[in-house]
Amino acid sequence: MSAEPPILSNVLYDDLVVGRRMGPYEETVSRSMAEQLAGEIGRPTAVEAVPPAVFPVLFLKGLRRAMGGIPPKSILAKQELEFHRVLPVDSSVTIAVWIGNKEVKRERPFVTIEFDIRDSAGEQIVTGRKVIVWPTGPGEEQS
Amino acid sequence: MSEFGGIVDHVDQDRIDAYAELSGDFNPLHVDPEAAAASEFGGTIAHGPIALHSFFRAATAWLGSEALPPGSEVKVVYRAPTRPGDDVTCELRELTTAADGRASIEAECVKQDGTTVVSVRAELPAPAAG
Repeated sequence: MSAEPPILSNVLYDDLVVGRRMGPYEETVSRSMAEQLAGEIGRPTAVEAVPPAVFPVLFLKGLRRAMGGIPPKSILAKQELEFHRVLPVDSSVTIAVWIGNKEVKRERPFVTIEFDIRDSAGEQIVTGRKVIVWPTGPGEEQS
Repeated sequence: MSEFGGIVDHVDQDRIDAYAELSGDFNPLHVDPEAAAASEFGGTIAHGPIALHSFFRAATAWLGSEALPPGSEVKVVYRAPTRPGDDVTCELRELTTAADGRASIEAECVKQDGTTVVSVRAELPAPAAG
């Protein structure tokens, strides 16, 4: 089990390299986590299959590991998920992360982060991406 | 075209803090009232997926399943922040259904003041019979 990454990251827009793969990182989808995200958040609902709301959480866990923390003041703009297999609760998964794209649009820096979640047998479970308004733009230092 | 929905999620700071614990995302915009008050948002905002949560609940209820089946695709645009005290309601609209039962779905997650916080386009298999 690897150490918990820092809470916040200071990775600058300029330091993000498109195509560089990070991970895969191991995570466990416990019954408790799945059940807290199956109904109202934090109010456990019994399930045997992992509900879809778990996967954005796994994206965040992968992002935190890949970036050495969550970029502070980052804002989620878009998200896409493709579901390939149903995952039972209490499963181990791996999360591969890479930068899919970065660009400045309407004077705001957008970064696309790609995710590939697989089960312990290496079978693809969910793929997807987040488009994030990054807290720094080209040539900027952390505020 | 059919509609399904009315799933409501109440958002409060306890729920935002619970989501931070689950996800490890302690972005100050979500969990630090002082830092968030000094930001462009003027106070804490929920993690984006919290605003999406009512869509997942509505979709799984519509399908009659705990998980989204293989082949499901979900595309989300986050349009406005969700804040403590908001109630987010999701309604699904089935736009088209293919011969194999695969449905194109449009959904809006809307706050109590009518603001759309999340727009979703999804491709989902047919709901379970019965």
